Amino acid sequence: MAALGAARCLLRTCSRVKRVPKSKQPRVRCGVRTLCSGTRDNALSDTARPRFSDPAVRDLLTGITGLDLQKVFRPVKEELKPPTYKLMTDQQLEEAVESATEQAKKLLRMPPLLPERKPIHDVLSVDEILDGVHAAKYVFTDVTYDIPHRERFIVVREPDGTLRKASWEERDRLVQVYFPKDGRKITAPLVFKEENLRMVFSQDRHEDVLDMCLVQFEPDSSDYIRVHGATYEDLEKLGKYQLLRSTRHFGGLAWYLLGARRADGLLVDMLKRDLLQDAVSLVSLFHMVHPHSESAQEAAGQRAAGAALLKIYAQKESQKSGYIELALQAYEQLAAKSAAD
Amino acid sequence: MAASFQGIAKLLGRLSPSFSHPLRQYRLCLQRLRVGPGPCLSPFVPPSHSFCKALSLQDENANQAAEALLRYKESPWDYLESEEYIEKYGTKPVWEGYRRNHKGGIPPQKTRKTCIRGDKICANPCPVCRDPNIIIHYQNVKLLQQFISPQTGMVYDPTRTGVCMKRQKKLHEAIDAAKDHGFLPFQIPYVEFSGEDYSNSHDAVGSTSPPQSLASGETWYKWYSEITPDEKEVAKVRRTYKAYLK
Repeated sequence: MAALGAARCLLRTCSRVKRVPKSKQPRVRCGVRTLCSGTRDNALSDTARPRFSDPAVRDLLTGITGLDLQKVFRPVKEELKPPTYKLMTDQQLEEAVESATEQAKKLLRMPPLLPERKPIHDVLSVDEILDGVHAAKYVFTDVTYDIPHRERFIVVREPDGTLRKASWEERDRLVQVYFPKDGRKITAPLVFKEENLRMVFSQDRHEDVLDMCLVQFEPDSSDYIRVHGATYEDLEKLGKYQLLRSTRHFGGLAWYLLGARRADGLLVDMLKRDLLQDAVSLVSLFHMVHPHSESAQEAAGQRAAGAALLKIYAQKESQKSGYIELALQAYEQLAAKSAAD
Repeated sequence: MAASFQGIAKLLGRLSPSFSHPLRQYRLCLQRLRVGPGPCLSPFVPPSHSFCKALSLQDENANQAAEALLRYKESPWDYLESEEYIEKYGTKPVWEGYRRNHKGGIPPQKTRKTCIRGDKICANPCPVCRDPNIIIHYQNVKLLQQFISPQTGMVYDPTRTGVCMKRQKKLHEAIDAAKDHGFLPFQIPYVEFSGEDYSNSHDAVGSTSPPQSLASGETWYKWYSEITPDEKEVAKVRRTYKAYLK
């Protein structure tokens, strides 16, 4: 009886402690600690799990993205102006390159990665007296200029007299009507349909699709997440990672693949292009995202760094371990040769 | 009547054969037959016989014209790969070499409204109207790209290409549809994401608490009621505008 009472107290304290973390994270109610399995991400490691917006994660991802000035500042099609010529000293040239690098870093800032927004199903009042008076819905939008769009009240009066808050799609459409954003259309462009997406992917225009998605959709809408998922899947299937390198979307791609534990293709691509430091960052990111995997635990135990990390990852986790080990051997031989010279 | 026909026949004869329109072809044959002693007819054939032949030729040519339209109706982009097209235009765009007819040195700022009205086609039709196999369609990307500048990405003015205003409008619509479907690439504006709050915690997008019975003096949202400003802030504002206060 006393044991039962103690168990009940433990249960209550457990559930109270777990209510404290942020409401965004999915709450997994483990009643008794012994029942929770160690390999799954449970509520205990939710707070320790890194988010996309963490500075450490963001630094690693920007390192992987790279910074190719020629690609970031490639010529775009715009109104032609006569060219300007500047006569510069070496020092001025260096300063100009530095400022260009700063500008490029700003342009390569990654767009936010958010969970899908919950639908709005709020009914403010039901007035039966208005039932059947009008044949159409009426939408009332607060068009005050100074308030953020996410704090704007938009309500819909249905013909049957219900006054409800507008859904997310209606909100986006109406905000675009009253406060138009450059490049955004009221109805989504047809390029985001399956057949058209496939056609665009066959032309290797993934970066364009992602840019158009950023312009058109909000970061937490379902369409945004779906289009990003489809693009990343296609890139991973065909191994065309170079298309997104040195763009603002590469971080999102890497994070998506790490979350799905399918980063082998990306790792192999990095090794092919002799980007060993990037490969090491990718593996350390993997260990941050999946701290309970075998390779993470072994790496933590051995405190491995550099090529040793890659070896552990290749042995424990990846499916393409053969290629990774070959590439590592080749790199070690090269390093030995250069050390001998 | 006969004189006008002769005049038209001379005009049509002067035109280069490659740009002849099937409609005009059958009219040409018609006029040649009606004018009288043409090269194909002997002068002793009775007039009724010549009219029957004219009618059958007219039908054939009409059929040919209709067939040509149908051949490329389903897939207008096939025409740009065909030998006929390469023979006529080669690698040059469709509008190159076309010259508008106008008075004076400066052409009017708008091209003609339309080349084809009903069955009739004007003299010197625009590059798109003169070749019925050229169909402006949003999937016909190669044709559309001939009318877009490769350096600026903008559509050429009709005074440069020579197309009539009706076809220019169709061209704009097709180019917009092609960009919408993703056939044509274009420059996409850059979007900034800094400084935006995505928490969705505001009552406008979050869930409102169910209606409680409001106590006296209590409002639905706390910011509905009177908000008293900070005394210090009010004093500061009064100080700055002291000269304007009564």
